[in-house]
Amino acid sequence: MSVVSAAGSFEESPTRSVGSVSERSGPLANLRGVKWRINLGILPSSYSSIEDLRRVTADSRRRYAEIRRHLLVDPHWHKDGSNSPDLVMDNPLSQNPDSTWGRFFRSAELEKMVDQDLSRLYPEHGSYFQTPGCQGMHELLAPLLYVLHVDVERLSQVRNEHEDHFTDKFDGLSFHENDLTYNFDFKKFLDSMEDEIGSHGNSVKVRSLDELDPEIQTIVQLSDAYGAEGELGIVLSEKFMEHDAYCMFDALMVGSQGSVSMADFFAHSHADGSLTCLLPVIEASSAMYHLLSVADSSLHSHLVELGVEPQYFGLRWLRVLFGREFSLGDLLIIWDEIFASDSSKVNKDTEDDAGSGFGILSSPRGALIAAMAVSMMLYIRSSLLATENATTCLQRLLNFPVNINLKKIIGKTKSLQALALDANLSSSSPPFSGVYNQNNPMVVRGSSLPSESISPRTPLNVVPDSYWEGKWRDLHKAEEQRHDSSGKQNQTQKKRWLEKVKLRLSRTESDPTPRTVDNGTKHSRSSIRRSLLEDLSKELGFEEDSEKDGILEASTEKDQPSVEAEVQRQDSVNREFACTSDERYLTGNAGSEESSSIFSDPASPVSGANDNENDSEKSSVASNSSVDENDRQSHTMPESPPLPVSQTPDDILKDSQSNNDSLEKSQTVRKVLSGKFQWFWKFGRNSAGEETSEKGGVATETKISANNESNQSNSKGASSNDGSCKSSSSSKGETVDQNVMGTLKNLGQSMLEHIQVIESVLQQEHGQLGSRENFSKNVLVGKGQATAVTALKELRKISNLLSEM
Amino acid sequence: MVLVLAIGDLHIPHRASDLPQKFKSMLVPGKIQHIICTGNLSIKEVHDYLKSLCPDLHVTRGEYDEDSRYPETKTLTIGQFKLGICHGHQVIPWGDLDSLAMLQRQLDVDILVTGHTHQFKAYKHEGGVVINPGSATGAYSSFTFDVNPSFVLMDIDGLRVVVYVYELIDGEVKVDKIDFKKTATTRLAH
Repeated sequence: MSVVSAAGSFEESPTRSVGSVSERSGPLANLRGVKWRINLGILPSSYSSIEDLRRVTADSRRRYAEIRRHLLVDPHWHKDGSNSPDLVMDNPLSQNPDSTWGRFFRSAELEKMVDQDLSRLYPEHGSYFQTPGCQGMHELLAPLLYVLHVDVERLSQVRNEHEDHFTDKFDGLSFHENDLTYNFDFKKFLDSMEDEIGSHGNSVKVRSLDELDPEIQTIVQLSDAYGAEGELGIVLSEKFMEHDAYCMFDALMVGSQGSVSMADFFAHSHADGSLTCLLPVIEASSAMYHLLSVADSSLHSHLVELGVEPQYFGLRWLRVLFGREFSLGDLLIIWDEIFASDSSKVNKDTEDDAGSGFGILSSPRGALIAAMAVSMMLYIRSSLLATENATTCLQRLLNFPVNINLKKIIGKTKSLQALALDANLSSSSPPFSGVYNQNNPMVVRGSSLPSESISPRTPLNVVPDSYWEGKWRDLHKAEEQRHDSSGKQNQTQKKRWLEKVKLRLSRTESDPTPRTVDNGTKHSRSSIRRSLLEDLSKELGFEEDSEKDGILEASTEKDQPSVEAEVQRQDSVNREFACTSDERYLTGNAGSEESSSIFSDPASPVSGANDNENDSEKSSVASNSSVDENDRQSHTMPESPPLPVSQTPDDILKDSQSNNDSLEKSQTVRKVLSGKFQWFWKFGRNSAGEETSEKGGVATETKISANNESNQSNSKGASSNDGSCKSSSSSKGETVDQNVMGTLKNLGQSMLEHIQVIESVLQQEHGQLGSRENFSKNVLVGKGQATAVTALKELRKISNLLSEM
Repeated sequence: MVLVLAIGDLHIPHRASDLPQKFKSMLVPGKIQHIICTGNLSIKEVHDYLKSLCPDLHVTRGEYDEDSRYPETKTLTIGQFKLGICHGHQVIPWGDLDSLAMLQRQLDVDILVTGHTHQFKAYKHEGGVVINPGSATGAYSSFTFDVNPSFVLMDIDGLRVVVYVYELIDGEVKVDKIDFKKTATTRLAH
C-alpha cells in the first residue's frame, strides 16, 4: 500500500521532535500552521520570545535538511574520498541492492507511487494539490502542507497590508518553488543559503511594531528575515514548507513520547508490555467499540449483532485521522481539536500498566480520537440502527454524510473524551473506573448499571488474605491521588473518592474473575464487595450479638484514629453537617425526610422487610454507638496495635461477618450513642444544607456517595471528634499523612469497611434496578438503600457521640 | 537522470541464440527510459523483448533485419543532447572515424550511435561523441570471430552524459565509465 511505503520511507529518520504539547492561545491563535506545530511538539509551547520560536524552527529545518541529504540519493555524487567507485557494483544496472543506484531506483519507485496517490487526493482543491509543489505527499501530509500554505498566504496578506515592515534589503537569491521535492539542486541551494545566513547579523527591525495588533506583530516578527537565525528562522516561510511539513508529519506519525503514534496504525509494532498480539490499529478499533459500548450500548449491541467489526471502518477512519470522511475545511477543524489535546500518556493509575485498558485511550489525544469516532457513529445513529444487515450498515458508516453539524459532533466528542479517558483507567475487563472530574456522572453511572445487572452474581466464598493489603494500598493510592489532584476541598475529594470506590465496586461486580490480587486493583475489593453484597442481601436483618461487640470495638478503634485525623483536617462541624446531610439525602431519596427520628424513622419509602429491618438496625446501631462509645474508647487504646491486622480481615475478608458487621456495628454503635442522640440529631439537621452544597457538583452519584459517606461517617462517627463522616472518608482515603494513633486509624478502617459493604449493597440494588433502564440513577430504590440509610444514620450518631467525647 | 540503453547487432537467431544470461539479468524493466538499437536484431521477437524493457524503442535498419520498415537513420533529442542512430554498414569504410564524423555532421547530432563492426568504440570527435556499442550477443562479424558481448548505457543528466560500458569478458561483466560534458553553447571539443 502506497501509504505504508511512504510511511516507511519516512521512518528511516532518526530524529524526533520532542516538546511539550499544550496549546497556547494568543497572538498565534489564528495561524493554524504554527499552532499545530506547537501542538505536535515541534515548536515549544512555552516560548519566552519570538526568538526562541525562530531558533527552534531553524533547528528543526536543519534536521530535516540533514535527513534529506542522507536519504535521498544522488548517484552522481561521489562519496567522500572515493573517486573511482567500484563500477561493477555501482553501475546503474547493478543488481546489487547496496549500490547507490539501487537506492536511487527504490526511492524513485516510492516517488512514483506517492505521486499517484496525491493526484487522486482532494480533487476539489486541485488548484493547490495538483501543482508541482505538492508532489511527494500523501494523505496525512497533505492537510499539513495545506495548513502551512494557508499560513503563508496569511503572511502575504499581512505583508501587503503592512508593506513598510517587510522591506527586504537582502539580495535575494532566486528560488524555484517547483523544486520543493526531490530535487538535488534544491539541496545545493539550501547549503549555499545556510552559509549566507551565517553571515548576516541579527539586526532586528526597529520599527513601530508595537502599534500593530499583537497578532500582526507576531507575524511580522516570525517572518522577519533578519531576526534570529535569519532566513532559516522565518517561522512562516514558503521556502521551508517542505521542512516544516516534514517536521509536523514526523511528529504526527511518531507522536513525541505520546501514545498516539500514527505510524503504529500502519505497521506492526510490538509495544513493550503489550499483552495482545493485535495490531495497534485493531486494538484502537476495538477501543473505539468499547467506548461506544460505554456511551451507547444499544447501538453497540446492534452493530455487534450485525457482525460489523470495528476495524472495517475503523481502519480507514483512524489511519488517516478521518481525512476521508470530512471535507478539507471540516477536517482542519477536527484536527485542531485533536492536536490541541495533550498527547502524553496519562498515568492516573500506577496500579497495572500491562494489559490494562487500551493503548489508544491512555492519552487525552488518543481518547479524543476514539471519542471522535464514537461521536461520529452516534451522529448517524438512527440510520445505523435502521440497517438490517452488515453491508448496508458499513455503507452508511463509510459514506459519512457530507452536510454535518460539525460543532455538535465536536462538542459530543469532548464530552466523550473524558469518558474515554476514565474508561481506560480501570483495568481490563470492565473497563471503567471511577471518575474524578466526570462531568457526566449520569453517563458513567448509567453505563455501569447494565454491566452490573448483566454480570452474574458469582458468589465468592474465599477471600485471599492479601486482600486487605491490596485494600490498604488501594486506600493509599486513593489518598495519594486525591492529594495529587489537590485544589479541592478534602470533603469533595473524599466524596469523589467514595464515589469512585463505589463505582469501582459496582462495576467490578460484573467481573467474572475478580480475584486479581495485585497492587491495589479494585478487583479484590470488588470481589469482596460482591460477596459482601450477596451476604448482606441474604442476611439483612440478621444480627449476631456475638460479633457486635467485636465489631463495635473494631469500629471504635478505627474511629478514633480517623477522628484525630479529622481533627487535623477540617472543621468537624462541617463534616458533621456533611454526614447528616448525606443522611438527609438518603432519607430524601428513600422518600422520607430526615426527621428527628433518626432512630425511629425507617426512612425508607420502599416497603420491605429488609428495609424496615435495616432501618431498625441502623437506628439501633446509632443508639448503640452512643451507648458504647465510652466502652469503645476505653478499649481503643490497648487494642489498637493488633487491630490493623485484624481489622480489615475481620471486616472484609469474611463475607458474612462484614455484611453483618456493618449492620451490627451500626446497631451497637447506635446503642452506644443513644445518649448522644439528641445532639447528633441536631447536628444532622443543620448539616443538611451544607452537605447539599458540597455535593452539588455531583449528581445522582452524590446520593450514593452520600449514602456511603454517611454510612462511613456513622460507622466511624462514634470515634470522631470532628465529624464522623469526614473522618471515615478520610480514613477511607487514607489518613496516611496524619500521625494518628493507630487505634483510631484501625477503627476508622473498620468503619470504612462496613460502610463499603453498605455501599456495595446499595450498588447491587441499584444495579439491579438499573438494568431496566440505562440512566436511572435518580431512582434510589431498594432495600439496600434503606438499609444503608439506616446504617448511615447510626454511624452519624456514633460519630457525634465520639466527637463529643 | 535519463538512462538510455544503446544496444545492437544481436543477430538472433542467425548467429546467436540469445543474450548472455548475465546481461539478461541486468536488463530489467523499469530502470531504462529509452533504448537505441543500431540494427540487426534480426527478428521480431527480439524487437518485442526490447520493447518489454522499455516502451520507447528506436531501431534503425541493419542489413540482416527481417523487418524492412526500420529507417536507415534516426535522430532524437533527449535532455540537452541530440542523438543520431545509424547501423553503419552504409558508411564506408566501415567503422572509419572520419566517415562517421561526416555522418554526424550530416545528421547534426551531438551523439552518434552506430554499430556493424561488433566492436565497442567511443570517440570524442569534433565536438561530438561517436559511440559503437558493439554486439550484445557476441555474434561474429564480417571480419572477425573474436567478439566480446557488449552494450552501452548512457546516463544523460543535464549537460553531462556518463557512458557506462558493459562487457562480458571471460564470463564476467566488466563495467567502464566515460564522462562527457557538453558546454552550453559550443559543441564538444577534443
